[in-house]
Amino acid sequence: MARKFTENPSLDMTPMIDVVFELIIFFVVTLKMAVEKDETIQLEDGKHGIELTADELPPSHLVIDIAKNGRISMCNVTITPDVVRQRIKDRKRRWGDKFPILIRADYRAKHKHVKAVMDACTTEGMWKLSFVAVYDRKSGKQLTP
Amino acid sequence: MAKKQYENPQLDMTPMIDVVFELIIFFVVTIKQEDLFSKLNANRPQPNDKPVEKVVDEQIEIQVGANGLVYNGRGVTLKELDRNIKQAASISKKTTVLLQCALDSPHRYLVDALDVCNKYGLQNLSVFSM
Repeated sequence: MARKFTENPSLDMTPMIDVVFELIIFFVVTLKMAVEKDETIQLEDGKHGIELTADELPPSHLVIDIAKNGRISMCNVTITPDVVRQRIKDRKRRWGDKFPILIRADYRAKHKHVKAVMDACTTEGMWKLSFVAVYDRKSGKQLTP
Repeated sequence: MAKKQYENPQLDMTPMIDVVFELIIFFVVTIKQEDLFSKLNANRPQPNDKPVEKVVDEQIEIQVGANGLVYNGRGVTLKELDRNIKQAASISKKTTVLLQCALDSPHRYLVDALDVCNKYGLQNLSVFSM
């Protein structure tokens, strides 16, 4: 027996590769990225706006979500307009006042909620704001009333 | 045994190709197309430049109400607004557009109005709240 092992020392890699593929598939399927935005928000069409590409989103950019019911959040954490102000202040200290602020407001959100966020921005001296809209509905999802 | 392996050293690629095809089919079927997004720029009025804007003669006002858009004191559909903005933009692209939003107006009307202004290249968009 001992002699046979030394004669054929190479491992059969096939089952190993099979298992590794199985593992890759398993993790790809089960992996759910950390939720970084409010998934309930539905955005209005804005086909003529500037397409949001990676260039339009420098590391300094700030996204503020406003849900249908007026919930203000960043990275899916509910916050108040005062916290928005604080975040803008922090960001100004780090990046200066040239960073883009993107407001992702649900199409049903009342203007008063949007105003609360915009006022928080203006009190910190950020006069230029951008609203996020849908450039192309590639997923085929439509707005629900 | 050892001799046989040296005689036939190449791997059989068939099962590997089978698996790779399976994987390709799996990912093609399960992949989700993501929406593409755009941004619509707008300015907030600064308290100190309000009087200056009054001097500017080229100025359009759009009211964003709870039930829709109002242009020149008249309720307009998006199509009508499109026509009006097109006309205004043909005179001057430097025209300032004042969007006056009612507090209980849904956000979609504001986005619609901004989108139309962007369509015709109007860049001076000011969002007020009433």
